[in-house]
Amino acid sequence: MARDRNDEIDFSAPVRRVLIVLTALLLFAVFLLWRIDSPRVERFRTALVDTVVPSFDWALVPVTTIVDMVEGFQSYARIYEQNQQLRRELQQMKAWKEAAVQLEQQNAKLLAQNKLRLDPKLTSVSGVVLADSGSPFRQSVLLNVGRRDGVVEGWATTDGLGLVGRIAGVGETTSRVILLTDSSSRIPVTVQPSGQRGMLVGDNSAAPPLEFIEAPDEVRPGDRVVSSGDGGVFPAGLLVGQVAQGPDRRLRVILSADYTRLDYLRVLRSRPAERIEESDALVGTVHDGPQPPAPASGAETAEAPGDG
Amino acid sequence: MVDPVSANRVGYRLMFLGLAAAVFFLRILPLSTEPVAWPGPDILLCLALAWVLRRPEFVPAASIVAVFLLEDLLLMRPPGLWALLALLATEFLRDRAVVLRDIPFLVEWLMVSALMAGMLLANRLMLEIAMVPQAGLGLSLAQYLSTVAAYPLVVLVSHSVFGLRKVAPGEVDELGHRI
Repeated sequence: MARDRNDEIDFSAPVRRVLIVLTALLLFAVFLLWRIDSPRVERFRTALVDTVVPSFDWALVPVTTIVDMVEGFQSYARIYEQNQQLRRELQQMKAWKEAAVQLEQQNAKLLAQNKLRLDPKLTSVSGVVLADSGSPFRQSVLLNVGRRDGVVEGWATTDGLGLVGRIAGVGETTSRVILLTDSSSRIPVTVQPSGQRGMLVGDNSAAPPLEFIEAPDEVRPGDRVVSSGDGGVFPAGLLVGQVAQGPDRRLRVILSADYTRLDYLRVLRSRPAERIEESDALVGTVHDGPQPPAPASGAETAEAPGDG
Repeated sequence: MVDPVSANRVGYRLMFLGLAAAVFFLRILPLSTEPVAWPGPDILLCLALAWVLRRPEFVPAASIVAVFLLEDLLLMRPPGLWALLALLATEFLRDRAVVLRDIPFLVEWLMVSALMAGMLLANRLMLEIAMVPQAGLGLSLAQYLSTVAAYPLVVLVSHSVFGLRKVAPGEVDELGHRI
């Protein structure tokens, strides 16, 4: 009996070993293929995610909602404090609302006087967050809108208040949003009111650092940070957050979007940036840096005489 | 016709796949999208290593490859590399499963920690050679430590909830052979 069994093992073990080695080589080949022809494999990955994750859809959204509700229920313990706090905040907000309404009216009047045309293509499509990246090394979320809804790679995503990230990877029914905190995220921004331009560089921390600023002395903690629209990827003027200075004296940005609760996101439709062909013939010389978009540069030149 | 022993084995194989799906599902729940300072453990790796050490026949190499390759693809990792390392690590343990059956748990824990450290290093080395941008070493180490810390818990839950036990001395398989 025992002898038979040993014979059986002797027969099957080498075959199994060969199969294991072949599988290992295959896996290594997949890795090499990804390294060599990344776009094709990434397209396959997007298609796979597009099939697999929505099949969890029926459970993902309800479970997330229930956990949120339980967390909300726990906060009932502090309901009185919260109520008081909300009342105080509401009072402050009323003052801000009044100021905002006045500014809006003033703005509308000025726009009418200038006959300024705002970009008519700034419409949006909203989606629900299905899943996050599932890995502590990647900061991205999956939305339930995709090519079907006309989503295009590179579009900006906000949570209604602040910028959240950009679309990278569009499937038929899902699209992946790389968050500003991801270590591969690079967004050109402007710091107001000084007008300094820089890059918001994601580094897997909650407050990404601000880099490549020409004159860091002019940037103060508390300044507003908005997208600059340089490079033509993002629309200009989307709120990103506020400048803060960390203990290591680095300038960081506290994001305005509520990253603890990303549930509904708005994808801004932006049309591809128009390219000016034959710039030599038009201008004569070509500038080195990327050209700022027309409205931003217009605003700057309009302000310049006012300063002097 | 289905005899209880092989039904048991198929049941455990399916249970491993089900557990992997559940772990994956819990990880992608968008509960908090903030970057974390201390990443949680890699439960799937703990499960695979613990099960291979206890009952290699419940986690065939095909299950390992399928689960880890799918996880590579879905979690935006470089596809194939981590699956390859998981396959090599589980095969390493599988070859020595009979010898390792009798070691005390503390020694097993140390050995698994060393194996995981080897996987982490090999992964980072390969990514470095292929010039793939990587996450910070601190974050990887933090995840490694929490994975090592989670291993005894995974073993405990596998033992008490799922009834996964090491083969006792003298235990026989479905055909009466000594395992």
